[in-house]
Amino acid sequence: MIDENAAVSELAESPIRLVVLDDDLGRNRLTVFLRVLLAIPHLVWLSLWGIAVSVAAFVLWLAVLIEGRAPRNVHDFVAAYVRYATHVGAYVFLAANPFPGFRGSSGYPVDVEIDPPARQSRWSGLFRLLLAVPAMLVAAWLGAGLAWAPLGGWFVFLVALAGGGVAGTAAFLVWFAALVRGRAPRGLRDLIAYALGYSAQASGYALLLTGQYPSSDPVYAEPYAELPEHPVRVVVGDETRRARLTVLFRALLAIPHLVWLTLWGIAVFFAALAAWLSALVAGRVPRPLHRFLSAYLRYSLHVYAFVTLVGRRFPGFTGRAGSHGIELELPEPERQRRWTVLLRLLLAIPALFVANVLGNMVFVVAFLGWWYALVRGRMPEGLRNLGVACLRYNAQTYAYLLLVTGEYPYAAPVLRGRPEPEAPPLPLLLYTR
Amino acid sequence: MTLARAGKLAFAALVVAALVVGAALLFPTAVPNDLVLPDIDVGATFGDDLVDDARSYERFLYADWLLSQIALLGTLWLYSRRGTAFMRESAAGPIGTGMLLGMLGLGIVWLVLLPFRVAAHWWQREHDLSELDYLSWIFGDWTILGAQFFSICLALLVVMGLARRLGERWWLPGAAVFVGVAALFVFVAPYLDYTTKPLRDGALLSAASRYERELGLSDIPIRVEEVSEDTEQANAYAYGIGPSRRVVLWDTILDNPFSRDQSEVVLAHELAHHSQTHLPEGIAWFALFAVPGAWVLMRVTRKRGGMGAPEAVPLALLTVAVLQLALAPAANLVSRRMEAEADWKALQVTNDPAALEELMVGLSDTSLGDPSPPGWAQLMLGTHPALADRVAMARAWAEREEGPGP
Repeated sequence: MIDENAAVSELAESPIRLVVLDDDLGRNRLTVFLRVLLAIPHLVWLSLWGIAVSVAAFVLWLAVLIEGRAPRNVHDFVAAYVRYATHVGAYVFLAANPFPGFRGSSGYPVDVEIDPPARQSRWSGLFRLLLAVPAMLVAAWLGAGLAWAPLGGWFVFLVALAGGGVAGTAAFLVWFAALVRGRAPRGLRDLIAYALGYSAQASGYALLLTGQYPSSDPVYAEPYAELPEHPVRVVVGDETRRARLTVLFRALLAIPHLVWLTLWGIAVFFAALAAWLSALVAGRVPRPLHRFLSAYLRYSLHVYAFVTLVGRRFPGFTGRAGSHGIELELPEPERQRRWTVLLRLLLAIPALFVANVLGNMVFVVAFLGWWYALVRGRMPEGLRNLGVACLRYNAQTYAYLLLVTGEYPYAAPVLRGRPEPEAPPLPLLLYTR
Repeated sequence: MTLARAGKLAFAALVVAALVVGAALLFPTAVPNDLVLPDIDVGATFGDDLVDDARSYERFLYADWLLSQIALLGTLWLYSRRGTAFMRESAAGPIGTGMLLGMLGLGIVWLVLLPFRVAAHWWQREHDLSELDYLSWIFGDWTILGAQFFSICLALLVVMGLARRLGERWWLPGAAVFVGVAALFVFVAPYLDYTTKPLRDGALLSAASRYERELGLSDIPIRVEEVSEDTEQANAYAYGIGPSRRVVLWDTILDNPFSRDQSEVVLAHELAHHSQTHLPEGIAWFALFAVPGAWVLMRVTRKRGGMGAPEAVPLALLTVAVLQLALAPAANLVSRRMEAEADWKALQVTNDPAALEELMVGLSDTSLGDPSPPGWAQLMLGTHPALADRVAMARAWAEREEGPGP
């Protein structure tokens, strides 16, 4: 059983780790406004460095093939490049404020730590580019692939800027928020940092800095133990084992649920309208309506978790609380400010943007997870947890939109905090947001 | 004997009597009972080479079908014993879990039968009977599987819902619901069609009007389905009931090697299906099969807790497959009688037995259909009379109308 909002009991070390050194969310409005233009020299330098890195990566490849280990100096050269790409990414996507240096030195507010060279399997080295394809796909969708310049990363970068990726969309919203308030919203900043951290892991793997496959588990990107409370929580009580037969036919097995979800959705439209009018008049949603909308939200989560392989079991049709391995906890009806109720649709627009890209992300998770689970009979935990984070954000967004909660969705993909030394050992693996 | 038991027996007798009376009323056709079909020299009529090719072609498909049926029953037998293990994969209630087991059963059957269907498709491509590439074919197959998944969910929703409410008495209302759904589907299906276009051929349309008048029909829309890019085989069908009645001709039947006269015979044949109310009769026949079928299903699944329990679903799938196979000879016999009646009416309105005979030769040629298939194949698979029998009927009709030749 996995719960939210508690620290994880143990955390495996990744050879490439995201480090957010400075938690200052303040942003200079002028540099935010001109951010992409200010980044031009960095982008040019990144490209030139990328050309050199593509040669160095070939040397690393030969070294791994022959000796099973990368030479230290070449490794450091490529590692500095990955760090630098992360700095530039953080700067362009507004995850950090200071203008980065050009050498990829450590110490930038959003940084990565990369371990010294370790022994790597020659076989995985030989087929590294091929093996990296799924990770590249995830990184591309996260849209923070500046470090991919030697591997065609400019395309990824352009997609990200155009809002096609998670980081690009988040940065677009941060840009507006920072211009207005002079601060980056923390949830969005953490989401971008996560995307950068994963991209660094993936590019480090592709460029042979490490033989450890990147993990999309948000736990590796989260440097904070304390996270704001949110009344909409996801509780994961599921295992990662998957029956291959249900994996093979997963989309078809979901057909009755998708039909039912659509029919239910029609009723929800009218219920939401009634809830909106009631909340405008009374300041809160009547309990029967709240219960109906909550059941729909729970059912949606169950269905999408099943379709995308984030959840293992075929869900029930009623959205009953506690009936599925990927469970949604929702608050009781609460008083909501009338002006936020009045403008709810308008206020939800930024969250809907993020929900949309995270919704796309979860289908990438489903695509990759489908192949993996079909072969191995289980879902990779990191991929599953990324899926949970995406689904949770969607649930929070629609709970906000449907007036089940007045709390705005929180974008950080974090599921569990890092270990707290003073915490007693936990009998269960606990997740937090 | 207790009163309850006597009541049960009386009810059973009533149901059996109703089934027998129904069958007796539905069985007769317009084909004269005293019609004797003349012997046909298949080689001389269809050509020796064509007959050899058709038999060789069909032999492979028969073997493929036989093996696929063995695989189907074997798979479902295994699934009926082990399928309940998949209940662990469900977080749904009994009906939802039953749906999952039903869909997984279909999925397993689809997987097991896939090699046989691929082999049959390969064989068709080898004989230039299909130009559909494997990717499009499998995508189409996958789409059909999706529709089957949805259908079995609806069926299980009805059966399990009734069984949980009515216990073992579900079978009679259950069968009634299925007949109602079948009737609804037959009625609605033409309105869901988006793949056909209206027939534009003026001469054929005026022939259709003439036949409709003679058959006592009015304003049956004639539509064309374009399949010539995928296959050279020819086909046509009638569907819908009441105001939704339609006739659909494949565009291959309107082109070479079929002549205008032959196309008109096909048109008359399909219109005759409507004039002889074959589609409502088909629903009535379905009811005659569904009632005892549902009863058997109730009895067989009793030891697994009845149809209200998800554990019974894998066994129910096996039972339905066995019933379908066991009832195939009877269902095919009914179908063949209806087709023979449509041929007979087509001969009456076209007055052209020669065209019907040439049409049969053309059908054999374009579809590599065996003019006189083995008895067992006709029993299990023959939804239409054998092509040789249809030629024989044309000759018998001619003989009746024109008197014996010199």
